[in-house]
Amino acid sequence: MSLKVSELFDGQLASAELEPVLKNVASDPGSRDRFTIYGLIGDSLRGNSTPDDGYSLRILQRMREQAARIEPGFDPFAD
Amino acid sequence: MENADPDIELVRLAQSGDAHAFEALVVKYQRRIARHVARYVRRAVDVEDLVQDTFIRAYRGLSAFRGDSAFYSWLYRIATNVAITAVKREPMVLLGDSAPEERIDAFEPGVSDGDDPERHVMAGQIADAVQRALARLQPDLAAALMLYEVEGRSYPEIARMLEIPLGTVRTRIFRAREFIAKRLEPVLGSQRSRRW
Repeated sequence: MSLKVSELFDGQLASAELEPVLKNVASDPGSRDRFTIYGLIGDSLRGNSTPDDGYSLRILQRMREQAARIEPGFDPFAD
Repeated sequence: MENADPDIELVRLAQSGDAHAFEALVVKYQRRIARHVARYVRRAVDVEDLVQDTFIRAYRGLSAFRGDSAFYSWLYRIATNVAITAVKREPMVLLGDSAPEERIDAFEPGVSDGDDPERHVMAGQIADAVQRALARLQPDLAAALMLYEVEGRSYPEIARMLEIPLGTVRTRIFRAREFIAKRLEPVLGSQRSRRW
């Protein structure tokens, strides 16, 4: 599965393959963990090392708290 | 360099209502967006707040993304806009006493204000572990990973440069990541389900 996680991270999966792999990753804590660690490695190699402190989870938590949803017509660049 | 957007399929899936697809994009880009936003604001807490605003605005406006540019470029522009708008609103609070161009060189990833020494130490430990693992990594694996992650080369470009099949590029990058990940795990500790 981790090879697929690596390909998912890099956008290398064909569209037919993407949805089932993403579903598997989303439902498997080990695969989600791998996905985030691959990101941590890449950022570290680019000189952007950060603490492993749940930053992504806090973003996702706030999105849930605000019940963020896709809004057709919303301009993300508007002040 | 080839310009195909590697995120386009994930974005399409997110646009069709798959929340996990957008979550994957959050996980993938949150650190890069934080680094960018930290050029505009001083305190780590403000950086994090603006990063959250950026992703929320991107999600709300996702149907407006047409793929005219890469998703990351679009996200980067939203982050710039969010940061500039915030600084205009509260310049003294967010900027402190230095101009943005002065802070770029001083920026320490993830610890832009140095308020929390533990965060600084943890970031340093991660960087050290990655560099130590990289030094021990088989050279052909390291070459593939560095070309992709640092040089920004695409898989097909790496295949041509290293004269290897595309499938070998995939497995080398994967094996390189696994090698480093296994050596990083003792530093990270058991955080399963606490990252995404």
